[in-house]
Amino acid sequence: MLLLQQIVNGLMLGSVYVTVAVAFTLTIGILNFLNFTIPTLFMLAGMVGWGLAYFGLPFGLSGPLPWPLALAIGIAAAILCSLVVERFTFRYLQTKYGDSTEHAIPLVSSLGFLLILENLVRIAYGGDAQRFPGPSGDLTAEFGGLFFRVPQLVSFFIVLALIVGLAWIMRATRIGRGLRAIAENPDAAAILGVETGRVVPMVFLLTGLLCGLAGALFAVNYGEVSPQMGEDIGSKAIAGMVVGGLGSLWGAVAGGIVVGLVEILTVHFFGADAVQVAVWGALLLTLLARPQGLFGHNAIGKGKL
Amino acid sequence: MSTPILSVENLSISFGGLTVIDDVSFIAPEGGRVALIGPNGAGKTTIFNLLSGVYRQDKGHIRLGGALIDDAPSRARIGLGMARSFQNIRLMPHLSVVENVMLGQHSRADRPGGMWAPLKLFGRSPARDEAEALLADMGLGTWPGQEVATLPYGIRKKIELVRALAARPRLLLLDEPAAGLNGTETAELMAFLDRIAGTGVTLLVVEHDMSLVRSLCDTAVVLNFGRKIYDGPTAEVQKDPQVLEAYLGPRHAGEDAHVA
Amino acid sequence: MSGYWAGLLTLLAINVVFAYGIYLAVAAGQLNLGGAGFQAVGAYAAAWLAFEMEMPLAVTIAASAVVTGVVGYLFAFPILRLKGVYLVLGTYAFAEVVAGVILNSDSLGGAMGMPVPTFIDWQVPVIAAAATALLCFYLMSTRFGLVVRAVHDDDLVADLMGVNVPRIRVIAFGIGAALAGLSGGLYAHAYSFVEIQNFNAALSIYVLLYVLLGGAQTPWGPFAGAAFFTLLPELLRAGLPALTEMLSALLGKTGVISTPDESWRFVILGVVTVLMMVFRPEGLITRAAIERLTHPRRRAKDTAVEVTE
Repeated sequence: MLLLQQIVNGLMLGSVYVTVAVAFTLTIGILNFLNFTIPTLFMLAGMVGWGLAYFGLPFGLSGPLPWPLALAIGIAAAILCSLVVERFTFRYLQTKYGDSTEHAIPLVSSLGFLLILENLVRIAYGGDAQRFPGPSGDLTAEFGGLFFRVPQLVSFFIVLALIVGLAWIMRATRIGRGLRAIAENPDAAAILGVETGRVVPMVFLLTGLLCGLAGALFAVNYGEVSPQMGEDIGSKAIAGMVVGGLGSLWGAVAGGIVVGLVEILTVHFFGADAVQVAVWGALLLTLLARPQGLFGHNAIGKGKL
Repeated sequence: MSTPILSVENLSISFGGLTVIDDVSFIAPEGGRVALIGPNGAGKTTIFNLLSGVYRQDKGHIRLGGALIDDAPSRARIGLGMARSFQNIRLMPHLSVVENVMLGQHSRADRPGGMWAPLKLFGRSPARDEAEALLADMGLGTWPGQEVATLPYGIRKKIELVRALAARPRLLLLDEPAAGLNGTETAELMAFLDRIAGTGVTLLVVEHDMSLVRSLCDTAVVLNFGRKIYDGPTAEVQKDPQVLEAYLGPRHAGEDAHVA
Repeated sequence: MSGYWAGLLTLLAINVVFAYGIYLAVAAGQLNLGGAGFQAVGAYAAAWLAFEMEMPLAVTIAASAVVTGVVGYLFAFPILRLKGVYLVLGTYAFAEVVAGVILNSDSLGGAMGMPVPTFIDWQVPVIAAAATALLCFYLMSTRFGLVVRAVHDDDLVADLMGVNVPRIRVIAFGIGAALAGLSGGLYAHAYSFVEIQNFNAALSIYVLLYVLLGGAQTPWGPFAGAAFFTLLPELLRAGLPALTEMLSALLGKTGVISTPDESWRFVILGVVTVLMMVFRPEGLITRAAIERLTHPRRRAKDTAVEVTE
């Protein structure tokens, strides 16, 4: 029963990884761009949310804000930053080099943004972990002897709804068709009348939304935020994406859950210190033995660096 | 008759069930100038990629100077005497002119002494002198130190040929050497190719410009949909009914049309 | 020499060696985002030999390079089959696995770290940095260096020119790993202590940025990049507290939270990175720039010829 309970915990944890992994896989699948700002956007939503709930608006415009409002603004900040990243990485490149598959330069730019955002947050709010003044995470519900924490359960279903919605957007809408056309071949998509300049920012908007939401949910669920909170989640999400297969939406979902389970079970059987080796070892073995992952196809990410 | 420098025997390859090259055979005699022509999609560049080992044939054999090279990896073929140029110039953009030519020497220099001896650090080196001499010899001695990306298209085209020559090949594969050149540049290139052929190098040329083919090559191999439809003197190629049909469609075949 | 300058010089020298290690891989077209892992292998090799085996300094420093070189060489065979994003992720994962293994091995001190008995002052790192720079300048001036650059530009054509592309990549990666390991060995002895938490993903990012921002076209690039970003915070020391106060005021933050000073350095590194990728993605020092500096007149003459052509 204890093991079953651990598996439930792994699923819950996995759902946070899933959200961030989906953001990673979306940018890689469509733009062939490994966006290292993703973990930072996750952190930004949580930290800005905390800052607003603790200090209030800048210039002393208000006292501390209620936490749901604070988190909503945090998510908006993540989306905004994501669009700024688009402006400086992808859009600029396309106009200058006309080669949107040359992904080394945006990758390096995104490393630059990672440093800027994370360290600005550190300067603004300090490097320490902070307690998030949200609802109590201890609210639990029991089903058949298994315990579920209510905020986690709510998060789980929000994530589920979000991903089903995303899959629907990709399949059924004009924007989704445009995005898939760009994923197949950016140049051909432009010729076929896909307005890349309008559609590409959508990827970043979705990325910001996914990461911001994940960061907000994390803040509520675990009651703690820190400038480093993105690093761990980011690496687990990358691992999930690789295991699932780069560029595959459902692969990222499956991979994120697999990584969540691997983590919880590793802690259960070998202790917390072994997690890093287990997760990254799984990633490395996947890369070496089956680079396309569980669901991905081989064409993505093999561009010239 | 002496052994032909290149002999292609019953070569076939298909991609995903689509036969791109179908049972093609031809030879290039030592010192000959052979044109490989045909409409778009006939499989000319595919033949080049098979010859240089980028693709592997499903069936058939390739002999270079009589020796089978079917199993030679792509990187070994230049050392066996076969160098090539590319349809769109593929010089190394961040290497200087002379460095690109030195890269062409690589197949002759890839041994420990050649690999780890400096090319520039302490003054000059034999490899660099040789490359600069070759460039000067070909009338390109003006820009040895400049990055190739900064030079005009016609010049880069020639440098690519000199890079191939630096390997001292017996057979030179030229993929549309005149593509993208204007009239004057084409005339210059022709004179350039004449000089190269004059040194005894066998030329195998893919080209669309028929006047260039007629003046440069003595024999032509015509491909259509991956099959060989003509193999003979360049002078006769335009009279062949099958070739006319391939280029102009069946209804023109009887007319006295010129192949473009 | 005062302690301040000695410390700065030591840090600079270690960063330069480290940057050259990553540079060799990048020059052959491989983004190595696992630098911290290779440095950690070297640092722990030296620390373990010095602390547990009581080996002399010469042996531990040499071993840090050799052990890491062998590890890098063996790792390169499978990993360099990967390209693009996959290779970046693979090297990143390597560093994480190394950190995880060290964290879990009691004989290497685990999370507690390990003391390193023999202390070195600034002289040894500086000599090592000079030797490393010379080695890299020499390597890049040979046919090997030419071929490395060719592989970076166009690996397919390099192959058709007769270059054994996988071999060149593995050798460049392996030598680079050895240098990164050497920087780890120097680190271990210069700071008398190794702690795996210091060899984190952020370090891998910084060193890769030093190389890319300095410019990977010539061996001047990594030196310029490492020097610039090591010395930058020292130059900025005066202006930073004012900036910090401004930001705090903007956010309505009260004085209870202390700000880590280091952070500004990385903000600036980030801003420079973004701007460089926009305006000069090939890095600060390019081959063309050096050509212009060393042959200004020949260049002018060439341009004239080009116009009449």
